[in-house]
Amino acid sequence: MLASGRHQDIFVDSVYTTMAVCVAVIGKDNSPLYIGGIGNDTSTDNELSRQWLVHTALDALEERLTTTNNNTSGSNSNTTRTDMRDLYLGLLYSTDTHKIYGYVTNTRIKLVLVTSSTSPSGSNIRDAEVRTALRRLHALYADAICNPFHLPGDQITSQKFDKQVKNLMLNNV
Amino acid sequence: MRSSVSYILSHAPGESVMSHPDYSQHAQHHACLLVLVKGIGGMLKNFNKLWDRIQKVNNIKVTDSAGQVRDIWVRYVRDYPVENNDWGDFQTHRRLLGLITLSKFTNQVELNEVCRVHESLKVKYINTLYDSRAFMFGPVSNMKKPEQEPENYSLFEDDKVFRDGSTSDKTSMPSEQSDSLSSSESFPHSVSSNASCPVQEENFTTPSNFKTHAMFYGENDPVPDLEQNVADLINSLFWVVESKRLERSREKLEKVSLLLAPFEKKDFVGLDMESRNNKKRCMGRVTKNLADLTLQAGLVAESLSLYHNSAEILKSVNDWLWLAAAKEGLCAASAILLYPNLRNSEPLQRNASLQECSPNKTKSLSLFHPNMEPFRKYKTTSSSPLRSSKASSPVNPPSELTPSSSDSVESSSRQSETDNCDTESLASSSDIEYQSQKSFLSPDLPSIPRQPPSQLQNQYLLNGEDIAEKYRKAIIHYSKYQNAGIIETEACFKAARIAVEQNNSLHASSFLQNVIFINLTLSEQEKIQRFDTLAELYKEIGFLRKAAFCQRLAATRQVSPNNPNPDWQRCYYLMLDSFPGHKLSLDPNYVIQHQVGWPALQIQLLQELVVAARRMGNPALATRHMTFLLQTMWPHLSRQEHRDLAIQLQALSAQCEGGPVPLVLPTGAVVPPASLSHVPQCSSFTPRPPPPPRAPHLVKLKTQQGPFIFTPIHFGTLERKAKKDEGKMEYLWVEDDICEVQMKLTNPLPFELKVSNMRLLTSGIVFESIPETIILAPDTPTTVNLHGTPKEVGELQILGYSTHTLGVKSNCRLKTMPMPNKFPALYTIEVIPSLPTITIETTVSSAGSMSLSSLENVGSTTNITLHNGESTECYMKITNTSNVTIEYLDIAIQSNMDSQLQSKIFQYSNGDIQAQLPIAPNETATINMKLYGEADFLDLGGVGGENLFPNSLTSNYPSRVGSPVPNTQTSLPTQSSNPQTSLSSGLMPNRTSGSFRSTNSHTTSWSAPISVMPPSRGRQIETQVIIRYSGGAGKEMHCRQSTLQINLELLPSVSITHWDVLPAEIPSQLYLVLDVTNLTSEEMDFHYAPSKHILIESKESCRIPVPLDRCPFNATSNKTDDDLLESKSLSTGTSSNSLELMCSEHITNNVDLRWHLLQSDINGKASVKGITLSQAMMDIVRMSPLNWEVSVNKQCIKPQDEYSCSAGECLSLGVAVWNHLTRPLHKLCLSVQFYQDYNNGVLCYKLDNRVATAGSNKVVLSTLAESAKAYHECTVVFLTPGEYKIDIQCSTTEPILDDVIIRDPDNQPIIQPCTGEVSHVWRFIPPVAISVTD
Repeated sequence: MLASGRHQDIFVDSVYTTMAVCVAVIGKDNSPLYIGGIGNDTSTDNELSRQWLVHTALDALEERLTTTNNNTSGSNSNTTRTDMRDLYLGLLYSTDTHKIYGYVTNTRIKLVLVTSSTSPSGSNIRDAEVRTALRRLHALYADAICNPFHLPGDQITSQKFDKQVKNLMLNNV
Repeated sequence: MRSSVSYILSHAPGESVMSHPDYSQHAQHHACLLVLVKGIGGMLKNFNKLWDRIQKVNNIKVTDSAGQVRDIWVRYVRDYPVENNDWGDFQTHRRLLGLITLSKFTNQVELNEVCRVHESLKVKYINTLYDSRAFMFGPVSNMKKPEQEPENYSLFEDDKVFRDGSTSDKTSMPSEQSDSLSSSESFPHSVSSNASCPVQEENFTTPSNFKTHAMFYGENDPVPDLEQNVADLINSLFWVVESKRLERSREKLEKVSLLLAPFEKKDFVGLDMESRNNKKRCMGRVTKNLADLTLQAGLVAESLSLYHNSAEILKSVNDWLWLAAAKEGLCAASAILLYPNLRNSEPLQRNASLQECSPNKTKSLSLFHPNMEPFRKYKTTSSSPLRSSKASSPVNPPSELTPSSSDSVESSSRQSETDNCDTESLASSSDIEYQSQKSFLSPDLPSIPRQPPSQLQNQYLLNGEDIAEKYRKAIIHYSKYQNAGIIETEACFKAARIAVEQNNSLHASSFLQNVIFINLTLSEQEKIQRFDTLAELYKEIGFLRKAAFCQRLAATRQVSPNNPNPDWQRCYYLMLDSFPGHKLSLDPNYVIQHQVGWPALQIQLLQELVVAARRMGNPALATRHMTFLLQTMWPHLSRQEHRDLAIQLQALSAQCEGGPVPLVLPTGAVVPPASLSHVPQCSSFTPRPPPPPRAPHLVKLKTQQGPFIFTPIHFGTLERKAKKDEGKMEYLWVEDDICEVQMKLTNPLPFELKVSNMRLLTSGIVFESIPETIILAPDTPTTVNLHGTPKEVGELQILGYSTHTLGVKSNCRLKTMPMPNKFPALYTIEVIPSLPTITIETTVSSAGSMSLSSLENVGSTTNITLHNGESTECYMKITNTSNVTIEYLDIAIQSNMDSQLQSKIFQYSNGDIQAQLPIAPNETATINMKLYGEADFLDLGGVGGENLFPNSLTSNYPSRVGSPVPNTQTSLPTQSSNPQTSLSSGLMPNRTSGSFRSTNSHTTSWSAPISVMPPSRGRQIETQVIIRYSGGAGKEMHCRQSTLQINLELLPSVSITHWDVLPAEIPSQLYLVLDVTNLTSEEMDFHYAPSKHILIESKESCRIPVPLDRCPFNATSNKTDDDLLESKSLSTGTSSNSLELMCSEHITNNVDLRWHLLQSDINGKASVKGITLSQAMMDIVRMSPLNWEVSVNKQCIKPQDEYSCSAGECLSLGVAVWNHLTRPLHKLCLSVQFYQDYNNGVLCYKLDNRVATAGSNKVVLSTLAESAKAYHECTVVFLTPGEYKIDIQCSTTEPILDDVIIRDPDNQPIIQPCTGEVSHVWRFIPPVAISVTD
């Protein structure tokens, strides 16, 4: 990985070539509402490891949320900017094999998208693409919870949602 | 963060690469002198104590030759790899400068060995070591210092230049020594003096090649001068460093040699060192080196500019590695200045929780500071500008000033610092004040390096943001060199720690994240350590999930197959530590209640934890965690997983059974018990009231409060409050009595589950629970009853139940029961003192065969058949089967009869029962109850039939006037209930319940019909004999109640269909003529008078005359029955009713009718109770109030006598009347009338031409006083022969009232003609019959 000589910086938008391998919807109390993943179910890529990845990203996600809030309360000059705050939080952290992006809705539902750094396709995923994908995911989520039989806070079991999310992940390849 | 330019100048690995990362490094360590502390030889008992003491000496102040105070910091390490030492040129703080050995020896051989080891250590670090100390602990306490040669500094020739300085310091020490030693709190002076002039006891000599400054002590000596010696060492080290610095600073920049990092050595071979580029490179590196030394020598501010300069130079020649080092140095120096907390609290800063602790808590001791007083003076004078600039009063004592100034520095640097910290430091400053008055240790307490404001505003000083930025750049530069991986790693950690100090979590996390990308060839142990340190730092910034992730990785590394020596114990503890990050707690109830975290991960972690616990050889923990896993994660597990985990748990618990006790780990952590409340699942749990015969009742029934039994309106909050007490049971349990709780259990596992030793969990009073073992089939709800016996009186709380299943003992408490079953937290049941129990055995005497024993107080039934009028006895044998004496026994009878009839059928003596009390345990008492077949024998001969009037024998009047008495009685309440109903409904027009009361009053009247049921039919009477009994301590309040059912069947025997009265031969008697019907199927012998009886065939009727005395007139109805009273009060103004009743009663009491069934030999009685009499009958029944004496021709006439005379004969008829009443009679009209009786029911009074009378045949007596006599005489002549009768009667117009006594003062009998209406007539019976012959 290091031999490829990539330039890494958290604060610089990354231009990495991955496909989304996992998408997670996390409730405002940080409980998992939906975790969907595609890809080969090898030992490193299975459901459990995806959960580890997303779970570990929550720290950074929350920290980023609190700092955003602090900024809002701290300086008035920033108020207008933070009010129009982008729901997209950008890259949360990355590991040897994955990159984790975050997105928070106004109701504090967290959407997490995991892309693989070791994608064989090698096609680049731009930050904008991730952003678009997460926005679409947000829309899908909103559609899913429009179901009058869905209780907010429950796990999302909708098959349609699952299918659409899987599509979304594949389209991003 | 890593550099994209890859390894510009690096070589393949395998060269001299620093391979042992030091994860615990901090930025402030750049300014520290590195000293190795090693224990050699035998293990010292108090090594750790000494190590701690040494560590506290981490900061001394030295006044340099220019009079400036230098703040020197020391870092002590226990171990230091030599390879790292090689990087000393690159970063001078990596050089090991000092060596302290703590060694133990017991004899000369060991001493020699210890000395050898010490020397070999010196050789090991020979390249960098400046000075060393050896603390030798010998066998005896007062060791004589062995002879030894003076210390040799031959290794460092250049030191000698500065020996003067150091020795001058040393020489100044003794002057202070006495002072400081006496001030050292606990060490007695004698010991130190002994140490200095030890008594010669044993002679140990150090080997000749041992050339170290060695101190000798006994092993248990307090070592008072340890700190002193260490400080001494540091002092000497400082001067060496200072000399190096000065030397370096005086070098000509053009002529310096190139400093190299270890791996760079080959890179510069053959390069032109004279090129301009390389010159600059040399200059830059040397400047950087000088900056390092300056920093170490305590001149932080100076180092800043040097670092800056070197960075400028190095940048121009693209010397990335050294540029990075220079930048890092700049950051470190800035951080030291900005965050003095970093270094002050460092020695205590073992974990994050102590981070905020006040810097003042780490005090450097006074005695290590030579020239303390001058120094203080200097400090106060020199720092006065500072103080004035900080606007604090210069008269403040320094001890007070210092903390406050440190506060201001702190607050200026750390805006995010909480108030908590301020108060903390405030508190500690006051603490210091207090100490300053007490001891003179205080002056040297301030150890906070205070930089003059000019230094703080140093142009090169980086602010917080810049430090992070510069560090980032440095790390990027480092990352270009593969061989600098460890330097980079350490830099990351250092940067992260600064970010932690800055409270910038995101920066810290990005630095930490970078660590993972650094590709290092590390040993497994070092990798684990890396994750461990990462976890620790993540924890500090609150990234608990990250920390948990790293800890879990570290844990898995501990036992990975790559690890040559797996350590399950450490793996276990690492996993345990990662609990908070997974939002897990060791307390299962907490986890169940909060249900946070990600179940899939938690399950994984717990499963791994179980494995780790098992592998580390603690099956108890493994069982506990597996139980925890099953209990807490139950809803998130599939059925298959339930099964698998249950089987695993069974296997684990086979090794060590799980119990409901907390497990304490060696670390002190407590693993609370985990209970399996899902296996089996409990869907209901209800304590049961005692079975009815054993249920306690209140002795005194609660009086009804208020007139309303039910109201839909709830007044006030009283009742609502009462409802809140959910777990409070309404019923009572009895001490020493078996009590029951009913549960419904389901086995959720797909195999048969054995649950043994199920008990109830209680608190409050002592409760003995009876263990229960059950086997539950899969998925079938089973009802289980748990029993127990309360052993005390008071309140019993049922908290839950305990089980033993799958090898785990669990205490399942109701309050922690899993959803969705909602149980109250506990059930509270009042336990009352023990009460006796009884068995009742019933025997009926007459039948003999009827003997039913009621076992175990179960209400039993006794069936008895009686004929009307028959009586029998029933014996109830009560046996006390408990250990409590029965002291109270009460019998009540409840039936569908009215109470009056009931008391006639069931007769028992209460006194007899009470006399048998108390009944001791296992004793018996017998209650004798008489049963009588009470019935109304008078039959109307078909209710509502036409034949209301029996064949009257003599009278025209019906024998029964109106309705029979009981009917009148029943009709009366009905009539009177109407106004009642309207009254009550008028009172509460809205209440539908208003009629309840009146309905109740109806019921008594409705129950009456059974008493008037015609005797010709059999009756079923269901009766409950309620036996209430009690004893023991609680007898005042509670009793038990046994119910005995008696079904009484009353068969008809005789009935009296018609009756009449006839006057008897003597005026004082009469005949009651009865038509008696035998309703039985047997022949009956009917006794109706003492000597008279008659046989009546089955279903036959007979007429019998019963001779009776007439009812005495003045037999006043003093014994007033309730019936009488009632009827009397209701009868308005007429005396007839009461009189009739009196007569009826007279008859009832005097008629003694007995019957005997010949075949079945049954005796019985009959009565004419309730007989009704007409007015005429009453006159016969009653003794006349007037006594007659009728005489014809002065001859008294006897009843039934026939008097004969001839026609025309003059007869003198005398009538005398005595008043037998107790009062005078008024307006009496006495009349004599003659008539002829044709004996066909026709009486002829028209005798005008047949009888002639002389004298009045009618006189009126105005008053006849009591016991007075009136006499009237007349003469009569019968003109024609025939049968004549004389009707002599006395009538009154005055109503006769028994109650009204009219007294007339005039007692004279006055005969007045009767004019008024006749209201009552007394006749002389029988009428005088005179047969007149020719």
